[in-house]
Amino acid sequence: MNVGGIHLTRVGGGAMLAEPSRALDLSDTGPVLEGLLAELQAHKAERLYYDLADVPVIDRLHHAWLESLARACRAINVRMICIHMQPTAAFGLATFLEAKPSYDTALDMEGR
Amino acid sequence: MANNPTQAKLTLIEQLKLQVGHISNRIEEEGKAVFGEANVLSTDEITDLSVQFLELMVTLLDTENPLDSHQPAFRALKTFFGNISQQIVARGGRMEDFVRYMQFLQRCFIESLGQDEQVAPEDMRAILLLLSSVFNELLLAVFQTYLEEKERTIEAQQRELRETSTPITEIWDGVLTLPIIGTLDSSRTLLIIEALLNRIAQERASAVVMDVTGVHTVDSQVSHHMIQMVRAIQLMGATAILTGIRPEIARAMTSLNIDLGNVTTRATLSDGLKEAFRLLGVHVSRAA
Repeated sequence: MNVGGIHLTRVGGGAMLAEPSRALDLSDTGPVLEGLLAELQAHKAERLYYDLADVPVIDRLHHAWLESLARACRAINVRMICIHMQPTAAFGLATFLEAKPSYDTALDMEGR
Repeated sequence: MANNPTQAKLTLIEQLKLQVGHISNRIEEEGKAVFGEANVLSTDEITDLSVQFLELMVTLLDTENPLDSHQPAFRALKTFFGNISQQIVARGGRMEDFVRYMQFLQRCFIESLGQDEQVAPEDMRAILLLLSSVFNELLLAVFQTYLEEKERTIEAQQRELRETSTPITEIWDGVLTLPIIGTLDSSRTLLIIEALLNRIAQERASAVVMDVTGVHTVDSQVSHHMIQMVRAIQLMGATAILTGIRPEIARAMTSLNIDLGNVTTRATLSDGLKEAFRLLGVHVSRAA
């Protein structure tokens, strides 16, 4: 299923995988957020894996989106884990991040 | 009679053409004595050098303004000398010898003119001025090439030193170690972070043990770099373990209000590795 530029897939074990595409409009994330949360609740998800494999740079706007999604997920008892963060994105993000982000990070879905 | 630069260069070209054999022999002999004996240039190379130099010099003098350093003939001569000097330095020759050789070339021209009684003193003055101007420019160009070559060498050595001073090793499947030795400045930290993050992605590493036993001083900037490094590792989904923090470094970090609350720290590299193995569920024990 596709929610406002984010492809959502059930991966089993109470987890869902979100893969953002270029169609994701970061200037208007409200409807996307609601749509994603509705899907997570409908599938009784406990974890949301957010795939950053195709995101070479995470700027402040992108980070704000990830933060709000993580906090919203926490509000409905879903743990958000960002996976496949690119070295360039991690490096850029580390330069302006002042506190631990609201989302967890892992190398991949196996949690390696 | 030639008392202007145009006439001077015409006279010079004429003299060069008349005495080309003599000049060529002299500069070849000197070349062999200076570079041949030191095995910096072969006999063939010295002969080529003499012939090419004379050809390029005549071409330059044939132009409207031989002192115009932007014209192709001048650039060709500059490039020629630049390449020769580069070659000599690369083969272990001394720059000083090459500069002396260039001075000899100039002297050769002047002496050959002096042998001709047809050249009037005022022509001689104009020719000397022209020759010294051209050779000064050439010497500057050679010096510039030499400096650039030196800078390139120093840069390459620094790069190599930086790379070897931050050896990232995969010590176990998914475990990287990075001993940091010396001073952490911004440029070095950026290099380390870049190399480390790429290795994490490449090796799919789960834990990175950074050993700072070799770091003797720390200031707010260095601490900031270390925290930044740890944060970037965590964002990649790996665990950063900081080991070998000396008491004076720990004290300095405390006084700088650096919070290592989110960072896993261990006293020694060995303890750090044990922690990494624990995280991976690896148990290391002595064989019975």
